[in-house]
Amino acid sequence: MTFLEITLFVISIYITLVLVRVIIGPTIWDRLLGLNAISAKIIMSIVIFSIITEQSYLLDVALVYALLGFIGTVLIARFIEKKGDIS
Amino acid sequence: MINLLAYLLITIALIFMALGVIGLFRFKDFYSRILISAKIETVGFLTIMIGFIILSGLSYATMKIILITTMVMITNPLSTHAIARSAFLSGYPINQETQP
Repeated sequence: MTFLEITLFVISIYITLVLVRVIIGPTIWDRLLGLNAISAKIIMSIVIFSIITEQSYLLDVALVYALLGFIGTVLIARFIEKKGDIS
Repeated sequence: MINLLAYLLITIALIFMALGVIGLFRFKDFYSRILISAKIETVGFLTIMIGFIILSGLSYATMKIILITTMVMITNPLSTHAIARSAFLSGYPINQETQP
């Protein structure tokens, strides 16, 4: 087991722990914060997997995931603004 | 020798992200949690990506990693700010125990 595979394993554990925060989050903004944190960790995972398997086209997937995660977070945050408690 | 530096940077980034995950459960106020998430996630992402850039050497794929790093460095604080603004304008209550 190389160093990068251990790194991928540790990041998977972090994603699982943040997912607990998403599940028990009291309101929808806590869940959105967890979604933002998971999105950044998934981008790291894709880059690590691309370096391990030496397939550089997977980096394009990470780039598109970064853009779509940003657009999704901002869109949901603007949509639920001033709409009351809909958690 | 240069790989050892990259491994050291990746280990530091993993410690940063562990602190961020602990802080996400440790704090009872939403605004404290979002402060931790905004700072620690960006710093951990930047550190681990610099480690990957050193590890993969100078090639075509390194430019893509630099592009991803620049984009996430710009967009991650923006999306966290959008979440905090949405919560504040919607009247998310500030915890009285942690209010200064």
